[in-house]
Amino acid sequence: MSKSICRALWQAACSLGVMWACASAMAAAANCTAEGGEVSVHCGNTPSATFDDLGRLWVAFVQGQHVYVSHSADLGRTYSPPVKVNIEPEEAEHNGENRPKILVIDEESEHAATVLVSWTLKTSARFTGEIRFSRSTDGGRSFALPRTINDDELFAGHRFESMYLTESGHLYLSWIDKRDLESSSARGEDYVGAAVYYAVSHDGGASFSANYPVAAHSCECCRIAVAPRGNENIAILWRQIFGADVRDHAIAELTPAGKVLGLNRATYDEWHIDACPHHGPAMVQAANADDYHLSWFSNGDAHQGIYYASYSFADRQARHVYRVDGAAGAGHPHLALRDGVLHLVWKGFDGQSSHIRLIRSFDAGASWSEPETLLSTNEASDYPLLVQSPDGLFLSWHGEEHGYVLQAIPRQSRALPDIEE
Amino acid sequence: MRISLAATTLSLLVASLLSLPARADQLRPFTTESFAQIKSNYAGREFLVGLWSVDCPPCLVELEMMGQLLRNNPDLPFVLISTDSIANRELAVELLADFGLAEIESWMFADDFEERLRFSIDPDWYGELPRSYFFDSSHAMSSHSGIMNLSLLRDWFAREIRVD
Repeated sequence: MSKSICRALWQAACSLGVMWACASAMAAAANCTAEGGEVSVHCGNTPSATFDDLGRLWVAFVQGQHVYVSHSADLGRTYSPPVKVNIEPEEAEHNGENRPKILVIDEESEHAATVLVSWTLKTSARFTGEIRFSRSTDGGRSFALPRTINDDELFAGHRFESMYLTESGHLYLSWIDKRDLESSSARGEDYVGAAVYYAVSHDGGASFSANYPVAAHSCECCRIAVAPRGNENIAILWRQIFGADVRDHAIAELTPAGKVLGLNRATYDEWHIDACPHHGPAMVQAANADDYHLSWFSNGDAHQGIYYASYSFADRQARHVYRVDGAAGAGHPHLALRDGVLHLVWKGFDGQSSHIRLIRSFDAGASWSEPETLLSTNEASDYPLLVQSPDGLFLSWHGEEHGYVLQAIPRQSRALPDIEE
Repeated sequence: MRISLAATTLSLLVASLLSLPARADQLRPFTTESFAQIKSNYAGREFLVGLWSVDCPPCLVELEMMGQLLRNNPDLPFVLISTDSIANRELAVELLADFGLAEIESWMFADDFEERLRFSIDPDWYGELPRSYFFDSSHAMSSHSGIMNLSLLRDWFAREIRVD
């Protein structure tokens, strides 16, 4: 439960006297949001996580008017005191599709590690924002003054940022941008949706390139998935508007110099909708470097539910399209490839409880295991994310009942799933 | 995550505060029982439900359209439900006022376990917004994802819908 939400709840209850049946919020408020209550990964909102080469977990989260970073050397049993990334208060977007991102560049001394953090600053109520970035060059003890990465200086929408660091050390930020919508509106022209833009740092976040356009007419309200492509490029997957109103997915390769390659439609779900799905895709690179594992949500004419497919940049085709979960309430998949095994987690809801479910594929997405439930809750919870340490794969998840959860995903060999009875 | 003593103290404190008079704005807390209550309020009558959020650009297009439509059809039975958390309450009230919808029956999600609230409205709804439901006078339900349009409303409503 967030401090800000509970503060608002308290204001409503105390000064306005309105009855809000918010039992779970009240319970969590007792621990997490009382005056002087703790700032922690458990009480914050929308955490993202990453591991450094030493196996330390780093978590970025939003609490009140700050983005915080905390780390754990013992797989989440204890955490360092959270450090404020933005010293001056500001409103960081924090909901399922919008969360701070964190990456760590290891150095020989753990006290010299560079910690990179991005988030979306909400600048008004009506979908305007700025892409914010800050870094620490002293192992997370202090952070530089946050800066704005979108370079158009427009009071417009720049939101849903993603951050990725390539093997070559190129740091990419990509986001949903409404500058072209603004300029079209100024000319009295219609503009469908938003656009995707990106910027690259060649020096570990000390400076960034100009902003580069990727594609016009993206959906306005879904996260962008990112995976490596070669040593220094990235592949991105996002929800794009095709024709008048089909909100399926597009894929493209981006270079550090601002070139967009291989732009293509990746999913054919035929979701005709003039609305905000609030469901962004997930993507990881396959063992075969031209291939990518995708997972997404649609409620289109062709596909309804959570889907998986592989996509090849070599022949620009999607394969192994598989319906992961068609039950209502299923959403928000995330992917990881570990030791040759593809893992897919997502969130389902059965009418009473939310369940975090996992399936595995031992043959690059050609077939899948039966779903297993990793965790369940009867209270509000975040989307599930998969993070990898040098030693293993973990579920990173947050909920009112459990606080922040880091749960190891056991290794499983191919032999197990067959005849168990 | 819980300190039960503190929780108990807090809940007593909150319980005592709840007897204060209600606020002037029109938002009512939407709980898992609210949708059944709305339907029962409209027993034997047709009505339209609009689900929206402050974080959904197309929803504001729809609210503007509905505000206009209601000026021409002030008796159109229309219920709004905001899926936002209470942190966005003031903003939601402001937006409704901007679109001339301050007088419309309006609810707001009162629990951040939003999956459960969504399920209480329609187990087959995936959370996309805007989302509309029309109930005819026998309460047969029709649904629509995306911005509502006039032809849809004319299909749904038995009554005449007037435009300028």
